[in-house]
Amino acid sequence: MGINFYKRLFLLPGLLLLIAIIIFPLLFSIRVSFSSWNVSRSGLDFVGGANWARMWSDADFWGAMLRLLNFGVVTTSIQYILGFMLAHYVWQGIKSGRLFRLIWLVPLMTTPSIMAIVWRSIFREDIGAANGLLKSVGLSTIGWSTEIVPAMFTIYVAEIWQWTPFMFLFLLAGLLILPKEPFLAAEIDGSSPTRTFWRITLPLMAPISIGAILIRLIESSKIFDSIFVLTSAGPGNATETPTYFLWKRSLTEFQIAYGATLALTYLIVMIIVLTIVAKVLTYISRPRGW
Amino acid sequence: MSLELKDLGITDGTDMILEGITYTFEPGRVYVLMGRTLSGKTSLMRTIAGLLDFTDGDMYFNGEDFDVLPTWKRSTSMVYQQFINYPNRTVLGNVLFPLLRSGLSKAEAKAKALEMIDKVGLSSFADRKPGQLSGGQQQRVAIARALIRNSNILLLDEPLMNLDYKLREQLREDFRELFTTSKDSVTIYATTEPAEALLVGDELLVMHEGRIIQSGVPAEVFENPNSVTVAQIVNEPPMSVLTAEISNGTFSIGHRMKSQIPAHLVGLPDGDYQAGFRASELTIGSEGDMKEEGEVDVAEVAGSETLIYLNTPTGYTIVQEEGIHQYISGDKLGITIPPERAFLFDLSGNLVVAPGN
Amino acid sequence: MSRIFKYAFVIFWTLFVLAPLSWALVTSFKTPAAVNQGATFIPWVQFDPTLDGWKDILGISGYANLIPNMINSMIITFFASLISVTLGGLAAYGLSRFRYGWKYYGNSDIIFFFIAQRILPPVVLAIPFFLLLKNLRLLDTHLGLILVLTSGLMPIVVWLMVDFFNQIPREIDEMAMLEGCNPLQAFRRAILPLSKPGIAISAIFAVIFGWNDLFFALVLTFTEVKTLPAAVVALNGTVTPFWTLAASAIFSILPLIGFVFVVERYLAKGGFSGAVR
Repeated sequence: MGINFYKRLFLLPGLLLLIAIIIFPLLFSIRVSFSSWNVSRSGLDFVGGANWARMWSDADFWGAMLRLLNFGVVTTSIQYILGFMLAHYVWQGIKSGRLFRLIWLVPLMTTPSIMAIVWRSIFREDIGAANGLLKSVGLSTIGWSTEIVPAMFTIYVAEIWQWTPFMFLFLLAGLLILPKEPFLAAEIDGSSPTRTFWRITLPLMAPISIGAILIRLIESSKIFDSIFVLTSAGPGNATETPTYFLWKRSLTEFQIAYGATLALTYLIVMIIVLTIVAKVLTYISRPRGW
Repeated sequence: MSLELKDLGITDGTDMILEGITYTFEPGRVYVLMGRTLSGKTSLMRTIAGLLDFTDGDMYFNGEDFDVLPTWKRSTSMVYQQFINYPNRTVLGNVLFPLLRSGLSKAEAKAKALEMIDKVGLSSFADRKPGQLSGGQQQRVAIARALIRNSNILLLDEPLMNLDYKLREQLREDFRELFTTSKDSVTIYATTEPAEALLVGDELLVMHEGRIIQSGVPAEVFENPNSVTVAQIVNEPPMSVLTAEISNGTFSIGHRMKSQIPAHLVGLPDGDYQAGFRASELTIGSEGDMKEEGEVDVAEVAGSETLIYLNTPTGYTIVQEEGIHQYISGDKLGITIPPERAFLFDLSGNLVVAPGN
Repeated sequence: MSRIFKYAFVIFWTLFVLAPLSWALVTSFKTPAAVNQGATFIPWVQFDPTLDGWKDILGISGYANLIPNMINSMIITFFASLISVTLGGLAAYGLSRFRYGWKYYGNSDIIFFFIAQRILPPVVLAIPFFLLLKNLRLLDTHLGLILVLTSGLMPIVVWLMVDFFNQIPREIDEMAMLEGCNPLQAFRRAILPLSKPGIAISAIFAVIFGWNDLFFALVLTFTEVKTLPAAVVALNGTVTPFWTLAASAIFSILPLIGFVFVVERYLAKGGFSGAVR
């Protein structure tokens, strides 16, 4: 048995199992998106591109997609910045670093859907901790789920709390394997810490940063648990994201066919956007002269 | 048990990595590959080991098609330039590793491994991990691992490259003896160091741009490099190659320095040539017919010698001087060129006459 | 100045991280009265702690018992992670060491295919998976949920491990092959012992993402095999009192918090860098 046998032996079991699991849902979704399967009639008839045409002009869906700019991009950016700050502090060395590191990793271990329940109890307007604290220092209470900005804020808080540790962990691991030489050279040149950070640390961290940002963009675009529990997409549909929109269409209204169309559209748009984002980030962080 | 390469070649897209390699390696002999970085030495070794696929030609071992055998069935050992060992195993564990599938009993394998560890001078380090050893010791472990299996083919890819000068000299001395333990193997040793080639090699193969451009007994190749390229590769520091002319009974270099035609060049037709001089045969100081004033570009001390790189009106010249001397860039120095030591090449770089010994 | 900012930020962040957990912990010991009279924070001073909330979820008061759910979660997470790390690790090693190709597609496309599995939200896949498992008679079984979770966890493992294997010098496996190991033996004897930190990291992520999955569990299992997050969310859906919910929240995250204390040293010490040096 030659090298090709082993080459396949490594990749194929995993790849084939994955394909086996995923192929049916994928093909099924494609086929269903050309049918009229809904709550009143189930079955695979053929209605051509009707669902696709409806999707194309569904302002609510595209509105929800646009809202991802808010939830996916903004929360990912904040997580990246905070995560980088924390990782950089630990990397440079802080007192009791190990203890802090341990505490900061805890949110990663918690279940987002369950934490959403905890956050909801905190942001309950009548007996929640947030308003309780505001009252105790003499401030007026806030309508966390009835006003748009506070509602968004609660979701931001939950997401940032949950996932900043993920960024922290990845970026710390990245910092720990950076080569020492460029930093020694910068020190000899008398480069200021700020300059060292922008000119050396950040560029060297580019590859791992891009990886972490992409994976977080993928994951945070799926945001569902916290919206489901905290705001139910409200007030109005101010916090409705594509995942929530999809869930409503397919699992509460049972517009199975239309839901599949939306899902495929989401997949295609995400693949395109992520490819572009990856290219842009790689371009921005390309090596340049000093 | 010979290894036969027939018109072997590797093409990667439009890049020729190896081209037209035809050569037969015999067991019990040490073949030295010399060539610059990226000349194809490593690619050739990796191809022989089965780690790289060739695209043209054939490879036979003991008369049988070698290409059908995967790496792990080829009985090939390799020592890398970097000190590669299993970092999680002890020295003993490392040296035992190749014996795991040899069918030896545990006790036999261990005894054999300890003997080999002793042979490479590491008996007091058998329980250490490679990370706790010096570079030279790590490379000895790698060599012990390569030798212990009595492989049919032993490949050493610039094994002394990353060691410091003293260690290199010392290990080099050990090699001849170590290789005698593998007298049934084809041993192929890549290096850029002429001294190593002369010391360990039975045959010398000079590689350039993926081809073997000259082969033969090392001393023979040194004395008669068939081209300027070979002369540059097998001499370290490289030869100084200057323009030369023979006309009307005079030999001139750089159209200015003139002398009588030295004995080995008598009888050659008049015309333009290139003359190559070994650094060790040029001298500092102005004596004789052919002397030249140059300006020091760089000077460096290598062991007990000093290498001086000079810009002269005739061309870039490298002189090797005995002893340790200090020169500063820009110093003016006289150099003496011995015409009787000239390697004469024609204008396309082929050897016309070598000065002999 | 920057030192002050640094420690201020560190302390602020630490408090922020601990705040919701402390709130849940405190609430889990409250009485109905203590909850309903408004936000209180300090036990014994502001309210008298009780164990009622905890009794409710541990089957003592007869209200709910989350222990079987926790065992379900453990079984499912363990096997889904095991399959993902094994097959994903092998695939990642292959992708790190060999060149695969089909027409214009190469290794990076295969890696992207793995990662792309994570793009689709579980919501989208729920219905097709439901139908698939129904036809395979795997609805409401451990195996069904394990397979579905594996498709989400393996991509994470592959993504992490390819990078990790890339950092182990390939001369090490070449050497093992030269010394008579076939590639599988080379992987097992030479590479695997060096990969412990990478395997630990990907196993940790597989466990975290597997344990925390809610949606598939909600849709694909009902009574026989209900996982912990699904059970807690179901409690939330009924009119379960606040203190019970808080207790269940703490209860459900305890195993993983214990887990992080055990594995923290792998997570930090440059686990990605490999043990090569």
